[in-house]
Amino acid sequence: MGTLSIGCFSSLVGSKSLDFTLKLAKAAVDKGHKVNLWLSGNATVVGKAHQKHLKDYSTGEKPILELLEKGVEICECEACALARGIQKPDAIPGIQWNAMHWYLAKIYSSDRVLHIGGE
Amino acid sequence: MADVKIACVVQRPPYKSETSTLGFTHAISSQVVEMLLEDGQNVIPTMCMVGEGIFNLLNNQKAMENYGVTSIESHGKNALLCDLDILVCKEDLVTFGIAEDRLLDAEDMGADKKLQIVPYSEIQKVMESSAHLLFF
Amino acid sequence: MKLGVFINDYKGTVETVNRLKADKLGLIFIQNGVFHATLKENGKTSPLLAKTANLYVLSEDLATRGLTGADVDSRVKVITYGDVVDLMFNDYEKFAWV
Repeated sequence: MGTLSIGCFSSLVGSKSLDFTLKLAKAAVDKGHKVNLWLSGNATVVGKAHQKHLKDYSTGEKPILELLEKGVEICECEACALARGIQKPDAIPGIQWNAMHWYLAKIYSSDRVLHIGGE
Repeated sequence: MADVKIACVVQRPPYKSETSTLGFTHAISSQVVEMLLEDGQNVIPTMCMVGEGIFNLLNNQKAMENYGVTSIESHGKNALLCDLDILVCKEDLVTFGIAEDRLLDAEDMGADKKLQIVPYSEIQKVMESSAHLLFF
Repeated sequence: MKLGVFINDYKGTVETVNRLKADKLGLIFIQNGVFHATLKENGKTSPLLAKTANLYVLSEDLATRGLTGADVDSRVKVITYGDVVDLMFNDYEKFAWV
């Protein structure tokens, strides 16, 4: 088994690239791989708690909580989150907050890296 | 394992999407990644500007004046000041008719590094010699 | 290098992909990239299908768009998320998102 690091900038609801990211992370961890997930840019919005799942919209909170439960390390860019009005007390518990060097450090020890930039 | 090389391939144009800006800032963050690694370990990015990504390098950007944000030009200058290699696809400059004197440089900030205008084949070599690719 | 390219859009991807060279190149069509594997434009299949023999399309993204295996070009293999993971760890080393 190996380590996969995924970096995603795509927004919650606004882009299915984030949904793809979460599904891929789940598929990888279910196969026994270690997964690190870095959320930056618009993707940081998925780190905000109390999302309401409406049928017209993608949701990220439940998949995120499931990934955390499975041991996926999820970190979001503190600057990107704060710029979007997301404060730490509002964040989904278990998501780390750090700066971009966290992602590079995970890349250092990863076997595979998939960077999913924004739109 | 000492250093891990990564290629940050910037192909998206500037400002409408924040992607290319994040390409620069992620590469620059390599300056502090050592604090999260063991002694002697590092991540070494090379920025590769291709396709519409070369538009990020135009000089005289007025982003701060018009949008109140740090210009990508400023990030590019900081990257050069940090001694990051920024390769620019020569063929794409020709395709889009952009003269080299329209591009940013960081000489005024005392940077030793300059943009490196290279054939795409050199960028391909960087991708081949890097452990991982990050497409922005 | 063994390069897996995730094609997530229909337009604006061919030129980028055409430039990429690898000892082993795989194209993985996802999201709107699945249209490369299923549509003909003016009667012609996507030029990406001639780029390499290693072509894959994500089944969930086909179904989401009302497409089925019957719509997929015979050169392209229909895969699941689990298969994507296996490709990433067993067949390819580096990845591009286009």
